[in-house]
Amino acid sequence: MFLPALGVTVAVAILCGLDRTAAGQFMVCRPIVAAPLTGWLLGDVTIGLQIGAMLELLWLGRLPVGAAIPPDDSQVAVGCTFLAIISHGETGLPPQAVAVASLLVCLPFGKAGQLFDRLARLANARLLNKAELALDCGRIDGLERFHLWGLLHFSVASLATLAVVVGGGMFCLPLFLKYLNGPLVVAAPWIYLLFPLVGIGSLFSGLRVPRASLLFGSSFVLGLLVMALR
Amino acid sequence: MKLPRSVLLQVLSRSFFLQASWNYEQMQSLGLIYALNPAFRRYYSGAALLAAYRRHLEYFNTHPYLATTVMGAVLKLEEQVQQGIDPGFTVSEFKSAMVAPCAAMGDSFFWGAMRPFAAVVALLFAFHGSLWGPVFFIVLFNLPQFWFRVQGLIKGYGGGVRVVSTLQRWHLSDKAIYLKQVLVLLLGFFAAAIGAAATDKMGSGIAWGVCAAPLIFGMSALMKRKFSPLFVILMLSLLLLFWFQLH
Repeated sequence: MFLPALGVTVAVAILCGLDRTAAGQFMVCRPIVAAPLTGWLLGDVTIGLQIGAMLELLWLGRLPVGAAIPPDDSQVAVGCTFLAIISHGETGLPPQAVAVASLLVCLPFGKAGQLFDRLARLANARLLNKAELALDCGRIDGLERFHLWGLLHFSVASLATLAVVVGGGMFCLPLFLKYLNGPLVVAAPWIYLLFPLVGIGSLFSGLRVPRASLLFGSSFVLGLLVMALR
Repeated sequence: MKLPRSVLLQVLSRSFFLQASWNYEQMQSLGLIYALNPAFRRYYSGAALLAAYRRHLEYFNTHPYLATTVMGAVLKLEEQVQQGIDPGFTVSEFKSAMVAPCAAMGDSFFWGAMRPFAAVVALLFAFHGSLWGPVFFIVLFNLPQFWFRVQGLIKGYGGGVRVVSTLQRWHLSDKAIYLKQVLVLLLGFFAAAIGAAATDKMGSGIAWGVCAAPLIFGMSALMKRKFSPLFVILMLSLLLLFWFQLH
């Protein structure tokens, strides 16, 4: 189970890593898509969906503008789904509890993605230099090849991030589950609610919209009324 | 020489790889050449092709979804220069003038409004375990971005420098503000859904769900003071874990 599942995870990680910046940008890399996709391929879409729903809003406000690189939530989503599904099979803990535990353990490792992404972009600068040299020598055929080599750099960066997320998670998650499995099972449904709340707070803090608090407050009260009347 | 539709399709398909070699020196310059290459090979050969590559191997960075707008207009300008028409400025000057406004409009509309909007719609479904969530996200986000990519290339190539007025007509900055207002409404509704789910778990009245609002405003205030969401979620989760450990 472990190696085939890891193979599938690596394939999804590369797909998401490329989609993030280098190719397509169809947003398959967003946690709300990447995690359920990984879960579906690994045979437990529910865990993937829960991880995607918890993670999606957390760093969504960090825009990939210019040279800014947000934390790699794609690899966190993919890696956490893999770890949660493996841990669920091994420990028999409820799916929501392992999903929450793997996210809490692996989230900080997502920061590594910023470093590897930066390294990929620095490596791409060498491709540009090679392209310039090729043009100086009057060679025009290699230009497209140099450009496409960048895909390899971004793929390697995604895999490196995935390795940190999964490696770190495999080391820390068993300890976390060993010492905190009791409160975790009870707290998991609450932490599942807490993630999107923090995400909403994070997104709301970055929105520059006229009358934002009024709009938010009105729809919040209206939403509660609708749910009370249901 | 007018470009056939097949070449424009090639340019469009290659534009999806615009950022494959993104780097800190010239950002998307190699990607631009890669995307425009099928057209360049129609226009030029030999030394002229080499000169075209050199001309375009310079700083280029814009929003990937609006890049085709610039690409289309650049192709039109190259065509006009070839026909001996003087547009009054160089292709390089035109690119420099276009990239920043396109980047600003694209960032504001696609990253700042469209993506969070699609995400919150998806979460309203996914949060309750519906697999329609991810499907809605992909459809809601990609239909507009694909439309802008295709229309950008068509309008850019069809209109040349007049594509500036097309961009103005799109009113992307205004649309971004309206979409953000809808997004805030959706966020309020989503927060209410979370509040209702929490009261349901506690077995208390739904009115207690109101507590979610000050919690969100408090967290928003923290994050405005540069507290990291990662730090906030880890601290609150640990607090919850210790609370349940003690009780």
